Amino acid sequence: MSSLVFDILVVAGSVLLGTSAIIALYRIVRGPSILDRMIATDVVLASIMCGLGGFMALSHRTDLLPVLIVLAMLGFVGSVSVSRYVSKSDSMTPGAEVGALSDFSSSDWHMPKDAEDDSTDAETAAESEWFEDVARGISDVADGPEAVTVRDEAEDGHSEAEDGHDAPEVGLDVGSDPDVDGEGEGTGPDPGPEDSDDSSRTGPEPDQTDLDPGAEGKRP
Amino acid sequence: MIPDIISAVLILLGGVLSLAAALGLLRFGDLLSRMHASAKPQVLGLLLVAVAIGIQFPTWATVTTLAIVISFQLVTIPVATHMVGRAGYRTKHLRRSMLYRDELAEAVDRAEARELAWERKRGIGTDHHDG
Repeated sequence: MSSLVFDILVVAGSVLLGTSAIIALYRIVRGPSILDRMIATDVVLASIMCGLGGFMALSHRTDLLPVLIVLAMLGFVGSVSVSRYVSKSDSMTPGAEVGALSDFSSSDWHMPKDAEDDSTDAETAAESEWFEDVARGISDVADGPEAVTVRDEAEDGHSEAEDGHDAPEVGLDVGSDPDVDGEGEGTGPDPGPEDSDDSSRTGPEPDQTDLDPGAEGKRP
Repeated sequence: MIPDIISAVLILLGGVLSLAAALGLLRFGDLLSRMHASAKPQVLGLLLVAVAIGIQFPTWATVTTLAIVISFQLVTIPVATHMVGRAGYRTKHLRRSMLYRDELAEAVDRAEARELAWERKRGIGTDHHDG
């Protein structure tokens, strides 16, 4: 009797895990954006980990515990890298302004190291660095001037933010929260997600009309 | 036999949570809603399965290894979810009409105002970029 209950429980758990993996695979195939696909991939990974743990518990073997550790350690790398890629590619839209681009990339996690080096005299340092790059011949000629322009804007914007500490005529609280610079990127002039095939989506115009009274009413 | 049945029940509960997350992925129409659904089996489902394994092998080696697994999962899953939500907010993969309150919009407004002031100041001042 108890063995029958045990078998029923095991089969039911296996069916549930397999069904959830299949549904998440459907979301991976159909997902409107790549972020939905990454979330579905995480769910598939969670189902795999649950199934692996259940297999370990029910077949009385502990040699698969390192596999579980590795999956728990490295399961987030895919989501993080794809999210960073999505942010980068969205900031590289051709309609966006150069200042917004540089402002986003200056608040990036790998940029401020060499931006702080030039914070004292940003203009001369940027130009000298550009001349150094030209002199060394490192910069690939195809997109050389645009890349140099963007970096120049970035360093100048960061120098403005650095000078905001001790220059009261700027009148801005730039130095209080440096990460807010990156959050301003969320309202860039991008056309929005491409999940228009989603049946229950309302479309961009009602969203805008919904957004505007809320934004107006929020301001005191 | 009783520990086996308890472990099987815990694994079944983990499967139920995983199925709930998959149905949330299937049915919800928003990125943030799908993130909300997908967080369940990653933490709670794996916790239940780890308890099932710990019932089957009540030794210190297994239990501490399972604690390591749960700790890594608790540390890394919020990182991945935060990055996905950040990218989704920046690329507007969310429906404004479904939001009850958008606290990040105030910070975005402040940043935009600061950007505008900076642009104006740069336009008035010495323009060494175009000259």
